Amino acid sequence: MKNRTKLIRAIPTLLATLALLALAGCGNVGSSSGSGPSAGDDSGGGGPTITVGSKNFTEQYVLGELYAQALDANGFNAETKLDLGSSAIADKALQNGQIDMYPEYTGTALVEIFKQMEQPDTPQATYQEAKKAYADRDPANTMLEPAPFNNTYGIFVRREVAEEYNLQTLADLAEASGDITFVCFSEFLKRPDGVPNMQKNYEGLKFGEVKIVNSIGGPIYQGVLQGEGDAGVGFTTDSQLASDELVVMEDQKNIWPFYYPAPVVRNNVLEENPKMEEVLNSVSESLDAEIMRQLNAQVDIEQEDPEDVAANYLEEKGLVD
Amino acid sequence: MANPALTLLQDLSSIEDPKLIEWDWISDNFWEDIVPAIQGHIFLSFVSVAIALMISLPTGVLVSRYRKAYPPVTFVTGLLYSIPSLALFGILISVPGITIGPTPVIIALVAYSLLILIRNTVAGLDAVPAETIDAARGMGLTNRQILFRVELPLALPVIVAGIRIATVTIIGIATIGAYIAGGGLGKMIFDGINRSFPTMIITGAVLATALAIIADLSLLGLERYLRPWARRRKT
Amino acid sequence: MSGILDVFRRPDFFELLWQHILLSAAALLIAVAIALPVALAIRNTSLGAALAVNIGNIGRAVPSLAILALCQPFLGFGFDTALVALTALAIPPILINTSTGLREVRRDIIDAARGMGLSGSQVLSRIQLPIAAPVIFAGIRTSAVQVVASATLATFIGGGGLGELIVEGTQLNNTTILLAGSFSVAVLAILTEVGFGALEMAMTPKGLKIAQKRGR
Repeated sequence: MKNRTKLIRAIPTLLATLALLALAGCGNVGSSSGSGPSAGDDSGGGGPTITVGSKNFTEQYVLGELYAQALDANGFNAETKLDLGSSAIADKALQNGQIDMYPEYTGTALVEIFKQMEQPDTPQATYQEAKKAYADRDPANTMLEPAPFNNTYGIFVRREVAEEYNLQTLADLAEASGDITFVCFSEFLKRPDGVPNMQKNYEGLKFGEVKIVNSIGGPIYQGVLQGEGDAGVGFTTDSQLASDELVVMEDQKNIWPFYYPAPVVRNNVLEENPKMEEVLNSVSESLDAEIMRQLNAQVDIEQEDPEDVAANYLEEKGLVD
Repeated sequence: MANPALTLLQDLSSIEDPKLIEWDWISDNFWEDIVPAIQGHIFLSFVSVAIALMISLPTGVLVSRYRKAYPPVTFVTGLLYSIPSLALFGILISVPGITIGPTPVIIALVAYSLLILIRNTVAGLDAVPAETIDAARGMGLTNRQILFRVELPLALPVIVAGIRIATVTIIGIATIGAYIAGGGLGKMIFDGINRSFPTMIITGAVLATALAIIADLSLLGLERYLRPWARRRKT
Repeated sequence: MSGILDVFRRPDFFELLWQHILLSAAALLIAVAIALPVALAIRNTSLGAALAVNIGNIGRAVPSLAILALCQPFLGFGFDTALVALTALAIPPILINTSTGLREVRRDIIDAARGMGLSGSQVLSRIQLPIAAPVIFAGIRTSAVQVVASATLATFIGGGGLGELIVEGTQLNNTTILLAGSFSVAVLAILTEVGFGALEMAMTPKGLKIAQKRGR
């Protein structure tokens, strides 16, 4: 009985200690001690801390890691927060200072964040408009030079279905769409530049069935390959698109906006650390579609960690010492 | 609907590549990714249980005294308990000022465990025989002394039983918290799904389950230790 | 507020709602169909009972997300996969409660019944099951609420359901859709809890209800 009384007496102290630990540790969870793509390495850099965010699919993980590690090697201390579920969430995090930068696609910024429906005609124009929109807000951000490749949507169809209906372009797909089961994630179905965009430009596009899987990449490809669906949506730098079993539909009307990835940085962070621009640009410049696809393949097909993939690439390119 | 067993067999045989568990990946990433995930998960769970206890214990004591308050308290906590986790996370992050990250996850986890913890605190206190309290009073103990030296110790087994259930529940729901950037083992599960990488899914799932079972068994041990009379009962 | 009502008027809302209900109901029914007979079959062996409780406890400890996620690599995505996962989730509480409920029936009552000449199966159907009924129903009720809650996660493996609205709202940063999805699932879960609670009351044999009231 005495023991138990002691136990009870100890509880308030125990709880108070735990609570203090909790409040102290609160900042750590989810940011640097998150699982998956690794935590910022505190031993790298040692200069000012920059928090690099990213959305949560492979290419974003890789880009995030590339930028973070490059910063680390060039006098900064980069921490990563690579688990932001969508553009909207990432933007929120950026604007309220939870992250200092993240890679966003020019077209996505215009459509998703600035709700601009009219799409410019050239990649450059898209970038300029996005950059201006970012600069005009409060707090302002800077969208740096994009990497020179376009990661746009790739609508793909399983080979046997493509052969059966003789599908090569999105127009063909629109015609046959009544018999097609399309697999995609919620955002694509509802976002103005997603399915609505397809429907607007290709008359008659109405899929027989739409299956929604709210996981990006893997399950959608798997599903189409295994027959759960006939067609799906992916990104043109996805490695899975190169598979022989899938046929990517040509978009002859160029309905998609241009999606060039560029680091978006908070202005006050950039002003305090002007050297960032050079470091980030050097990473962006070195990339192209084929390279991105290979890097993505290393993660998605060879199951390597985005952190390692990024590290190897940076070393190879001599972007880190 | 095709014969599900047949479909299952067909599916299993048509999957070309995913090796179930790539031990290499596990050993390569153990310290970098897996251990931080476990740490993050333990952190989320621990903090939530602690905060929940700090709220529920005093509340339970109060409510057992002022019974009129019990039904509304049960109603509110019961309501919170019924809201599915993803839904509660969604509601929380819509609140201006609450950003994604561990904070809404912890708030939700605390909210979930209040019902069982308060309920068990009250039940435990209720189970203390009136004669015992009378005897204590007869010995000259003040109310406060009775609470801390008689009632709570006797109620402890039932309270710990509640903590046990709450902890297991919290560990399970914390996995979903990864969806709103809460960290923890759930992230491995979600990433595994996105990357079609069963190893990650299995690692996250197995570790989360193991964590829950370890917590369950430890608390069960504590419960049994505190309840020596139950040990002697013949089942 | 009106925005939320608009979401409910969307053509796909009813489909999602229906999917959610169908998924949950089917999983629960199949789970009952599996767990009850198993628990009944092993009721007399102490090994069987111990096994049931232990497997049940392990089952309870597995996070729902984990089971759904684990089924996906093997069974693909979709309604069927989610159904399998949810059924697996629904079994433990029913198994544990049925097993312990039957075993908790006091020996002297069973002996008295035997003494009156009742056969084994009669003892089961006329004595044990009715007495254990409230506990068994509590298990089914726990399972039902758990299934409805876990069905929200089915969207991650393409199982549909109201969770899809929540995810959509999160992805598009649309608070209205997010709240609409969250509220509808919450209401569904609460209705399930209350509904099964009423069922549990209805299923408690009159004699037991009186005994409970008398505090025995």
